[in-house]
Amino acid sequence: MENIEMNFAEKFELYGCFQCGKCTGGCPVSLKSKLNIRRLMMEGILGRISEKISEREELWDCTTCKTCTLRCPRGLKPMDLIIGMRGNLVEEGHIPKTIIDALESVYKQGNPWGKQRNKRTEWLKTLSEEVSIKDYSKGDRAEYLYFVGCTPSFDPRIQEVAKALVSVMKKAEVDFGILGNEEQCCGNEIRRMGEAGLFEELVDGNMQCFESHQIERIIAMCPHGFNALKNEYPQGKFEVSHTTQVLAKSLEEGKLSLRKEIKKVVTYHDPCFLGKQNQVFDEPRMLLSAIPGLTFKELDRSRERSLCCEGGGGRMWVESSSESGQRLAEIRIQDAVELGAEIIATSCPFCVLTLEDAVKTSGNEEKIIVKDVMELLADSME
Amino acid sequence: MNLIVCIKRVPETADADVSIDKSGKDIDKSGLAFDLNEWDSYAIEEAIRLKEKMGGTVTVLSIGGEDSNESLRKCLAMGADEAMRLTDPAFDGSDGLARAKILAEAIRKIPYDLILTGTQAEDDGYGQVGAALAELLGIPHATLITRLEVQEKKVKVHRELEGGLEEVCEMDLPAVLTIQTGINEPRYVSIMGIRKVAKKEIKTLNASDLSLKAEEVGFAGSDIRLEKVYLPPTGEGAEILEGKPEEIAVKVFEILKDKGGLA
Amino acid sequence: MKEILVIAEHRRKEMRDVTWEMLSKARQLAEGMDGKIGVALLGHGINSLAEDLRSKAHQVFLIEDPRLEVYNAETYQRVLTQLIIERKPFLTLIGHTAMGMDFAPSLAVHLKMPLATDCIGIDLSGETFSLTRQLYGGKVNATVSFSKNGPYMVTVRSGAFPVMEKDSISGEVISYPSPLSDEGLARRFLQYVDAVIGEVDITQADILVSVGRGIKEADNIPMVKEFADAIGGVLACSRPVVDKKWLPKERQVGTSGKTVKPKVYIAIGISGAFQHVAGMKGSGTVIAINKDPKAPIFSVATYGIVADLFKMVPVLKEKIKEMRKK
Repeated sequence: MENIEMNFAEKFELYGCFQCGKCTGGCPVSLKSKLNIRRLMMEGILGRISEKISEREELWDCTTCKTCTLRCPRGLKPMDLIIGMRGNLVEEGHIPKTIIDALESVYKQGNPWGKQRNKRTEWLKTLSEEVSIKDYSKGDRAEYLYFVGCTPSFDPRIQEVAKALVSVMKKAEVDFGILGNEEQCCGNEIRRMGEAGLFEELVDGNMQCFESHQIERIIAMCPHGFNALKNEYPQGKFEVSHTTQVLAKSLEEGKLSLRKEIKKVVTYHDPCFLGKQNQVFDEPRMLLSAIPGLTFKELDRSRERSLCCEGGGGRMWVESSSESGQRLAEIRIQDAVELGAEIIATSCPFCVLTLEDAVKTSGNEEKIIVKDVMELLADSME
Repeated sequence: MNLIVCIKRVPETADADVSIDKSGKDIDKSGLAFDLNEWDSYAIEEAIRLKEKMGGTVTVLSIGGEDSNESLRKCLAMGADEAMRLTDPAFDGSDGLARAKILAEAIRKIPYDLILTGTQAEDDGYGQVGAALAELLGIPHATLITRLEVQEKKVKVHRELEGGLEEVCEMDLPAVLTIQTGINEPRYVSIMGIRKVAKKEIKTLNASDLSLKAEEVGFAGSDIRLEKVYLPPTGEGAEILEGKPEEIAVKVFEILKDKGGLA
Repeated sequence: MKEILVIAEHRRKEMRDVTWEMLSKARQLAEGMDGKIGVALLGHGINSLAEDLRSKAHQVFLIEDPRLEVYNAETYQRVLTQLIIERKPFLTLIGHTAMGMDFAPSLAVHLKMPLATDCIGIDLSGETFSLTRQLYGGKVNATVSFSKNGPYMVTVRSGAFPVMEKDSISGEVISYPSPLSDEGLARRFLQYVDAVIGEVDITQADILVSVGRGIKEADNIPMVKEFADAIGGVLACSRPVVDKKWLPKERQVGTSGKTVKPKVYIAIGISGAFQHVAGMKGSGTVIAINKDPKAPIFSVATYGIVADLFKMVPVLKEKIKEMRKK
């Protein structure tokens, strides 16, 4: 145990911490969860961190939004400490059943949703027949690889977003192809659930796949995949863009003809993995503002200060340990409704799912709807 | 406490579309993921928990080709001490009884106090191997175990009967227990865990190592011969309600009023 | 004359359904080969059960012994070994139940008798059996045969064979001496533990809404619960949902849970494994919602809805709520 303690303190540079509390102050779940990141840092320094580690179920409450790390005045990485502690739990094997199911599904089927590997492209069948999509696994080549991601491939709600994206990119004449059934999980969430070994395997497998198809440019629709591919895969091999970045460029070049009016008040929810973690703030706003008839209103907590929706860091597969406290996504919806927004737009599959749930659970179905930016663009291009 | 666990690697079919292969005697397994038989995963977890509590060793046995190493390694990563693979071309086509004979010969060569295996396998579902094995070894057994407690030279178990009823019984050790799902929560096996045991030796034993004659095992040694497999007739009873979800809802409402007394 | 021997299954002085199902199948087989039906009844203080069996068998072999008060694999094996060696039945039928699957495999090994387990079909032509079993959790059926000569032993799945009304055979009850002595047993019965009666009793509901593996995660259970509430139904589930601890055991329908017979049973995301079907096949009307049109549940359902449950259930809930208000 002593050895582990030393590893924790050294590995995560805990000795630099002077307990200012900015991490916990910024933590979106600290108000309702037992999770207290400042205290964890201290326990790490004192060598008490692995005491009853398997009983610390609040470790699974962290959404890995990274606010703590981004706000640390000493440049330390508190979030990585939590992921490291989760790693210990994963090694011991005593982790929530739902997390086990997601991890085993990734290992066996290449996606965390328990779906068969060879059904990854089934969603394409619902596209109209005129739309043909290039497929690298069938020998096609394109300028961009569109890395679809697991949730857009398998979740019925997000398949709609993927379909909207395909139609927008086609109309904007973006030359793209997909990996077909060769695509597998990017590993972003897997790493954050503490399964470092599985993440490594996914990176190796995906890198081999990218190399075999000589991929140079990748478009990711999911900010979680975007983040992993851009920051956590071997660097310098390919260029990674988020869909909003590529399409903002198309807009500037005049290739995006947004004709149909959307006369609605729209606000935008910044996904943590796109906004505060990767500084993509302006592109989605540019795209929304270009839609004729649309009135854009900014939420009070926006951009770097955006409130996390609680969909990241494995939270799609595990319930919060705290019984009390409102879901952050509900607070978000409440804020948007109070702002007078009729549509809350975002650009992340997890955010769409958590926000849409929150619309229902907070009883705001009549007042507001959740849309991905791509869906609004597709509507305006019809 | 010397524990032995008998496991099997099987294709996962619960969420998969299944079709029949060219031989007409099995399903097409291409594209299917394989894993430890679900019942066996509870058996190995239970064995490891016993070892963690009482000390001793856990030896895992499996009949099968090299593919089975993956499942044996998973058990090693969970905490098993030794793994043995029983493999021989002569074993092909073994039914439940023949598999029990192979396992029994291997087990005779190792010291044991308690043998655990899953109640049944997801693939052939014989539900036969555990009890047959016990008889071959001349020791007591109990099936469908949902709780167990090792006491001095005996084991007390709960058996799952129909209708939520449980039978509690005890038996002298050594004994064979077949484990029912839900007895525990099998732990996760991480990739790092698998890597740590990647170099660990998996012993193999063939028919002659086990002093088994070709006619005792495989097709020749089996009582059951598989003639053919086919997809079961489906949907014969059900009238499929079609239309938009809203239209279907109207029909369901009518059925509920008519048959369920819904007001 | 050839004999088919059925091993009667009873518990707490009540005959279990599988016994009548086996006797019904035995009758059909016996008629085809001009055979006789024997039934072995092991127990203590069960003369009335023996009387009941007379209508379905030519001979009721009653083995009465206080040591047979409750089932035990070891005592059953000793008694049945002697009986089978003496009677030499051409076929022995045993239920593939918690009892039968416990003693049949070891008894078959002991008697060196070929055994086919968990059969849902038994066909006999001449002396050759053709048996139907299920593989891969019911995804495919298999036809199997015996590769050795008889006598044979077969365990049959509960509910696989219907009980047919036939004229009474009015067979005789024959008391058979018990071979058991007071010598110690390696396996000893201690007690029964009844299922805890919880707040809900799913066996009493008129409408049951039952959810299975297709629900994917615990988070989605409330959606089905709301639907059940909207139609005045009670929430139930299949085994995987209980194994994952998403709902308590008292809600489980199936062989290892409760047997239910509601007026309407709505199966949501349940594929229809036999263990589940056995617990709900007595329902009046069955509505199944499953996205896989090949799911076995559709073969037992009265009505089928081939759809994504996540899309279907919320619409059902809202629409029916709305119609009920009117």
